[in-house]
Amino acid sequence: MTNDAIASVEKQSSATLKRGRNLELSVNPSKTSLGRRGIERLDMLLLVVEALDLNAGEGMLWISNQLGFQDQFPNRVELWKSRCYNPLRRTTRRGQLAAVDTEALIQVLCMMADRLYPLLHQLLSSREPESLNKQRWTLLEDRLRDLLKERMNPRRGAVQRLLSSKDSENIFREYIFSLSLAAGPGGFDRLRASLLDPIP
Amino acid sequence: MNKLSYCYDQSAARLQIEGLPDFSQGHTKDVMGIISFWRLQFIGSPELEGKRDHLQAMMSIVLPYARHRLSGINRSFGHSSSPVSIAPNGNMHQLLLRSSQPGVEPLTLNLDDAELSDLVRCLDSLRLDPRVQIPWDIPLDRPLSRSDLVGRLPLAKRFTAPFAGGLIFIFSTFIALLFPIPNTIELPPSTSLQEGATKIENKRTN
Repeated sequence: MTNDAIASVEKQSSATLKRGRNLELSVNPSKTSLGRRGIERLDMLLLVVEALDLNAGEGMLWISNQLGFQDQFPNRVELWKSRCYNPLRRTTRRGQLAAVDTEALIQVLCMMADRLYPLLHQLLSSREPESLNKQRWTLLEDRLRDLLKERMNPRRGAVQRLLSSKDSENIFREYIFSLSLAAGPGGFDRLRASLLDPIP
Repeated sequence: MNKLSYCYDQSAARLQIEGLPDFSQGHTKDVMGIISFWRLQFIGSPELEGKRDHLQAMMSIVLPYARHRLSGINRSFGHSSSPVSIAPNGNMHQLLLRSSQPGVEPLTLNLDDAELSDLVRCLDSLRLDPRVQIPWDIPLDRPLSRSDLVGRLPLAKRFTAPFAGGLIFIFSTFIALLFPIPNTIELPPSTSLQEGATKIENKRTN
């Protein structure tokens, strides 16, 4: 990574951090406790980020440090433990993810989506060469299926649906589109509100 | 005149605004308080231009559409008389812009997911830019209501549980009606029968 790129990422990080601090003042943390579906979706979006970027694990930790979340996620294990509230995982944790950790995870996700936005744009664009885009999607789907098999409970219906080739393509596309809408300056509020939707 | 011009660039979209500081609001010379002109460019699409009202209308339509789309709801925003409307069109998003000038045909843009994301990012950058101090009348991002979210469930999935419940209730009621109710109430002997019996006995004795 060149110095300019590092400087631009750090600039973005500090801007997001400022936004995050401003949000902390306006957001009532008790209302940020996600329901079951919200946690599932948040963890799935983080998994999609990992499928997009092979070094996403390190990237998330670096971004959480940049955003000032050392208390929430001092190391990779703590980050992993907070994601284990997802009931679809092989190793799940009982209870509810703390509101502060939820906010931190959403901010880390939005920041990662912002970093990966050029890639998301390529995947979603209809102007890209069709054969090239198809290869990109195939690669992404393979990686995501491998991660799902490795980390999620295959006996769950939702996981089986994601692993089946029929339904999964549309669902993966929805995840990529969600990440692209979560990236950028207003993405955090939008994604947070979406994750807090009640179960119909 | 302190004419200001700011540009918000994305991969496939560029939003450019021009305006002036509003000194009556105490703005400095670098802060835009009045938008006089805006221009939106998409690669391979006609250029859009307009006044602040049109930009406001676009923001108040496109941003809630993106918010609903993030929750998996495909519904159109804006009605036939509004200056901007957007609706899902297969895998694309159809943005319709109606001119305020008479005799001008509405302009239709078919945006793919990437272009919509770019547009949303441009509009977000503008409304959250500290250099542009304009009160945008846009609804805040809030969790949707249950009634909004019900629409994303397919009809079969939505009605399976109540339909199965109703069927079980009707079936169990029908089965229950097949069994007769046991008559446990003892009726008093009928006086007319008793009288008849005494008459018969009297005849026999005679």
